[in-house]
Amino acid sequence: MKEQVSIETHPSPPKVMYSPRSVDVEITARCNLHCRYCYFFDNPAVDYQDLDTDEWLEFFDELGRCAVMNVTLQGGEPFVRRDLPALIEGIVRNRMRFAILSNGTLIDDDMAAFIAGTGRCDLVQVSVDGSNPEPHDACRGKGSFKAAINGIHALQRQGVNVSVRVTLHRFNIHDLENIARLLIEELELDEFTTNSAAYLGSCRLDGDEVMLRTEDRGLAMEKLVCLANKYDGRITATAGPLAEARLWSAMEQARTNAAEPFSFGGRLTGCGCTDNTLAVRADGMIIPCCMLADMELGRINTDSLIEVWQHSPVLNRLRCRHDISLTEFEFCSGCLYIPYCTGNCPGLAYSLTGHANHPSPDACLKRFLESGGRVPIETGI
Amino acid sequence: MTDHNMPIANPLVVLREEFDDWAILFNPETADAMGINPVGVAVWKQMDGRHSLEEIVDDLGERFSEVPDTAGKDVAAFVNQLVELGFVGYELKDSGR
Repeated sequence: MKEQVSIETHPSPPKVMYSPRSVDVEITARCNLHCRYCYFFDNPAVDYQDLDTDEWLEFFDELGRCAVMNVTLQGGEPFVRRDLPALIEGIVRNRMRFAILSNGTLIDDDMAAFIAGTGRCDLVQVSVDGSNPEPHDACRGKGSFKAAINGIHALQRQGVNVSVRVTLHRFNIHDLENIARLLIEELELDEFTTNSAAYLGSCRLDGDEVMLRTEDRGLAMEKLVCLANKYDGRITATAGPLAEARLWSAMEQARTNAAEPFSFGGRLTGCGCTDNTLAVRADGMIIPCCMLADMELGRINTDSLIEVWQHSPVLNRLRCRHDISLTEFEFCSGCLYIPYCTGNCPGLAYSLTGHANHPSPDACLKRFLESGGRVPIETGI
Repeated sequence: MTDHNMPIANPLVVLREEFDDWAILFNPETADAMGINPVGVAVWKQMDGRHSLEEIVDDLGERFSEVPDTAGKDVAAFVNQLVELGFVGYELKDSGR
């Protein structure tokens, strides 16, 4: 592998907005579950500690002064914090909107009513990985399915916008049709999103037992494309098998037809998060993204958010990522898909290779095909 | 009774200045957002309930070159649009009754 491309090759820092539009906040390092594929836990480089209420409120005041628009509260499990209402009030007071990513198991009617009453919640995303307890609880723990569904019902009763994230793994791919029926037909959700267990956090410990193998991945892609068509776009994804099926299908068709390069193709364009979003770990360390958790940029209430956002060399190097050609990487040598490839997620690339400015091996179509995978070809993409 | 000549910005609305003096107005109550150019930003900053539309237009003439003759009409239309979105209002004044 060639050396990681350094910032010195990009002497002019990219133009950035005055401040991030949104901030992802890992509001706690605690969780009432211990899911086998959690991206958050078991990162040896991370100090899993919580800040007290006042420290977060001081930070939310700074976000308000910086005209940040949205805060996404995640963790850990945000609802383990007893002071969550006070923290949400701090967000609301500073003229921001919020979303919460949750396992759903601790949400009751009182909490749902509080969230609804703020009028500022874009959504609460609840993880549901099965149509029944067996596939869900297999990785998330006994009783977690029933509690998550109860949480969704509480949110719906109070009129909170609920989104569901389905993480695909080896124990639930054969349940996909039932999961879609449960979420869309029975729970009457507008839509749900999908992803898959990836080589991050806890999944690095026993990922081989949980993550999709090549044949599982092909099957998941095929089923999800069918279901997304059946439910008319109400199943979406920005990562995982459904997103891969769509991009890879387009790439395969383009290569077959010797089409012009994609406008975003041939360079590391797979992520634009650093153009508008920043993240903060539970211990207060500012990081580029929750998937780059050990890439510390500064500390809240000590370092100026604006200073970090505008001038961090690490962040600016990530922002220059899209200028890096895939032809610079030995990993991509001889690949016919380069004109159509984005290199995908820097977080996953970092976890797998130790370099964020590298294509993600997990998202390599050539590799997938060489290992026996098949991509369902969609038309009209 | 309202003073329809002195617009006042909704204090909940956030002015987010981004690139090259362009900005976003964001209402966190409704999630409505609207992109505005540097002239819009200048107008927004004058909507404090103490400046009439005429004064705001005059101020533009001092800040920007080549202000068109239609500026008064354009600013009024812009302010009306903001009023419809709930981004701007007019101060209620005591009618004395």
